[in-house]
Amino acid sequence: MSEHRTPPPVSTMLMRGLFEENPIFRLALSLCPAVAVTTSVKNGLMLGVAVLVVQVLSSMSGSLVKHIINPKIRIPVFTLLIAIWVSAMDMILAAYFADIYQQVGLYVKLIVAFAIIISRMELFSMKHSVVPCFWDGLGMGLGFLVGLVLAGAFRELLGSGSIFGIAILPFKPLLLVVLPAGGFFTIGLIMALFNWVDVKRGHKLPSGGGGAHG
Amino acid sequence: MTCVPGKPVVDQAPPSGREMVIIAAGLTVVCLVAAMILGGLYFVTQPAKEHNLHVREETMIRGLLGLTPQARIQEVRRYLKREGKDTQVIYLTGKKLAQLELDGKELAALDVPGDVTAAGSAEAKDEWVKKQIKVADPEHLKYAGRFFVGIEGSQPAGYVVEGVTLGFKTWVRFFMAIDSSYTIQGVEIIEHEEDPGLGAEIVQRYFKNQFAGRSLADIEKISVIKDPLPKDWQTALEQLGDMPFRPWAEKYREMLPKNPNIYAITGSTISSTAVTVGVKAALGNFRKRMNIVEKYL
Repeated sequence: MSEHRTPPPVSTMLMRGLFEENPIFRLALSLCPAVAVTTSVKNGLMLGVAVLVVQVLSSMSGSLVKHIINPKIRIPVFTLLIAIWVSAMDMILAAYFADIYQQVGLYVKLIVAFAIIISRMELFSMKHSVVPCFWDGLGMGLGFLVGLVLAGAFRELLGSGSIFGIAILPFKPLLLVVLPAGGFFTIGLIMALFNWVDVKRGHKLPSGGGGAHG
Repeated sequence: MTCVPGKPVVDQAPPSGREMVIIAAGLTVVCLVAAMILGGLYFVTQPAKEHNLHVREETMIRGLLGLTPQARIQEVRRYLKREGKDTQVIYLTGKKLAQLELDGKELAALDVPGDVTAAGSAEAKDEWVKKQIKVADPEHLKYAGRFFVGIEGSQPAGYVVEGVTLGFKTWVRFFMAIDSSYTIQGVEIIEHEEDPGLGAEIVQRYFKNQFAGRSLADIEKISVIKDPLPKDWQTALEQLGDMPFRPWAEKYREMLPKNPNIYAITGSTISSTAVTVGVKAALGNFRKRMNIVEKYL
């Protein structure tokens, strides 16, 4: 457990979170918050940034403590590490970004339970040293952020006819997409798009459907 | 049981005594570092957080009472002194520190220096009060709530009472604006941890504005009902906030008697009832206390 595997090149670590192993659209992890907050681009972006920071910090600290932690208790320790960074984010946002905190405060606390973060710690941080963990966390966090922004943009444009709260269309084309049910449709549609692009590039669809990890 | 990739499950036998010690030591180290990081951050961020809260509260009070920018807001803090069976109430207003019996009989009253009145932080005020009131044990003197007086020119323009009620999970803190005849002008939820999409809806206009325009008598016999919120009443409720209270109340006066009760949020009867009970209690208590404290304002 303690020997490090050779990390993949930085570009791979960065890009796979964005596309090949996109947390939302390929791994289908943390779909619940993805549906809940993506009613507008702004919400998606803010939660995305929060997740990105927590992911990077958790991945790195997970890598740091792996030698002093018995593998038997790694899951509680991971949860503890995530909880530290989420609490830190919560305090910093409340103190210095009061306006944003008003809107995402409730969701920030939920990051503790995001499957994507603990899954990256388990799959990557346990096997690699701190620097690759930074890149991997950054890539995964960016993938999550892009996913949230994409879904948020789609839903805000079609559901409210605006982007970033600025009215673009004079009407609301499809109110349904901004409602919770529309969130599932949106995620499903983008997931299908990812799969379609993948097939076009010559990859075979994984037998399990959307998620590369099943 | 989860298993480490590449290792068979049989490896995960119960830990030996030595292993247990190592596990405990590792956990302790991680927790200690965590506590230090969080403690340090709390120390650094708390003042900024308090400042934000203070600014937000003041904006909210001005909005609720519809005050002009020149208007002043005076906080009135209430303390309870308990020694043995003897309970006294202490009010810190802008002018006086009044020490009273429970029935309102004055025991002592002294003038409040200007720097205490002007102090922004609650801590500074509490410190000063603790110095003035002699108690055997600091635990015997406790802060017990506050309200605000909006002062326009030199006349009170309305009151904002802070109330606390037990919500679905934890405390819900709210502000309630009241005019001099004890009619509610509006309710704002300041702090809550209700579930998003369910109890958290108490902050929405269609719920919190249901209290606006109701007199003390209305509130005393109000109850929470599970009927659906009528469309026209919802439209009216959504207006308050874009529109100041007085013109709003003028416009929708005839709708209040038609909707004498609070319509519960769908799926959140507990949160809805909690706020209603809180408003009821806060208004009743405020009236009783106002009779006593009025002459010290």
